[in-house]
Amino acid sequence: MKERAFLLVEDNPMDEALTLRALKKHNIANNVVVAHDGVEALDYLFGEGAHAGRNTEDPPAVVLLDLKLPKIDGLEVLKRIRANEKTRLLPVVILTSSKEQRDLLEGYNSGANSYVRKPVEFTEFAEAVRNLGLYWLVLNELPPATGETS
Amino acid sequence: MTGTRFEPAADPADTTKAILNILSDFSEEKERLQGTQRAFLNILEDSSAERQRLEAAQKAALNILEDFSDERAKLAEGQGAVLNILEDFSAEKVRLEAMQKAVLNILEDIDTEKSKVERINSEMAREIAERKQAEEALRQAKAGADAANRELEAFSYSVAHDLRAPLRSIDGFSQALLEDCAGKIDDEGKVFLNNVRESAQQMAQLIDDLLGLSRVSRAELRQTRLDLAKIARTVLARLQRDYPDRRVELVIPDKVAAVGDERLLGVVLENLLGNAWKFTSKRERACIEFGQRVETDRVVYFVRDNGAGFNMAYSQKLFGVFQRLHSANEFEGTGIGLATVQRIIHRHGGRVWTDAAVGRGATFFFTLEERV
Repeated sequence: MKERAFLLVEDNPMDEALTLRALKKHNIANNVVVAHDGVEALDYLFGEGAHAGRNTEDPPAVVLLDLKLPKIDGLEVLKRIRANEKTRLLPVVILTSSKEQRDLLEGYNSGANSYVRKPVEFTEFAEAVRNLGLYWLVLNELPPATGETS
Repeated sequence: MTGTRFEPAADPADTTKAILNILSDFSEEKERLQGTQRAFLNILEDSSAERQRLEAAQKAALNILEDFSDERAKLAEGQGAVLNILEDFSAEKVRLEAMQKAVLNILEDIDTEKSKVERINSEMAREIAERKQAEEALRQAKAGADAANRELEAFSYSVAHDLRAPLRSIDGFSQALLEDCAGKIDDEGKVFLNNVRESAQQMAQLIDDLLGLSRVSRAELRQTRLDLAKIARTVLARLQRDYPDRRVELVIPDKVAAVGDERLLGVVLENLLGNAWKFTSKRERACIEFGQRVETDRVVYFVRDNGAGFNMAYSQKLFGVFQRLHSANEFEGTGIGLATVQRIIHRHGGRVWTDAAVGRGATFFFTLEERV
């Protein structure tokens, strides 16, 4: 079975590059899909727009979701993921710059599985990304997806 | 008879005739008299009836008079009563007059009082108008402050998100250079890159501290009973874990009871104990003490160290944002910690002050909600 994807929703190209570098460095998540705003992320998940025709029966292992995003922000993306029958149980990790209480609270209230603050210090950041990859790709048992074949 | 004059007759026959005449006259007279008598009697009879009537009338009159007498007595009685009443009225009148006078006095007093009240009223009206004006000014100021607060909130939010991202790039790509292009960079270049990373990290710390300071001002105060000694031990245990090589003697009582916001007072102790930890780093035998001093009208909490201390001449500057008494080379720090401490203590209604001497350590005292 093909390794399930890691959906990274990140609008900042620097952060995208750093996250990909950290994942590559630790040799995890070879199958990373990047969405650069909320609309793109939802299109990928629901097989619409630019991703029309994509097999939605093959959901990513985890969504790494930034909060401040163009068009549709992270919290709204999360709410739509939770509202949709197909993606209701999809693991979503908020990966963002702030640890403002209101972000944390709204994140968990909207159904986030986890909330990770991006550290400024790169080694810490790389460590955080590595832990996320290990946890969600290796340790975590996913809920049975519709159409799961394995 | 007055008309009949007796004259002696010259002839007896004449005399007899005269006598007979007289007798006849007498008889006539007698008849007249009898008639008169009868009339008299009639009259008398009439008179009797009249008399009876008169008597009855007199009797009636007497009765009436008697009644009048009664009436008079009654009237006299009534008059007496009226007089009594009038007398009473008179006394009453005197009383009423006195009362009226008193009332007039009162009215006069009321008049002066009224003018006083009117004066006060107008003063009050003016005061109310002024107060309304002040309230309006206050309302506007509050609206302004609310708007400023919202702006500050948006600003903090933006700082929290947007200011950190470029720093992450600066640090991350410097690290990438050091790792991926190590062969192309000489040792001096590596030092420079490490300086870049250090500055980025320092700035991230500064942003976090500033956000912390602004959060402290905005956070809602949730006061509960708590044990400051327990919080202090937690903070010091974390410091010991972060600096495992340090050996610091700690003096903390079992329990230090206080009432306050647990999270915010945690920030206070993190800063004060963190400072004590930092400024004793060059001591052979470092000692940090946390405790309380119960005074008559208040409880004073303190954090004492035997570290670098400072010149009390600068103690006022200590609590200002970005104020530092040591160079970054000597002791690192952002100069926000004590400003945060002061803000939290002030929000609890307490005071914070210090006592120190260069080279002889420093003590920071604080109170919570001073009872004045």
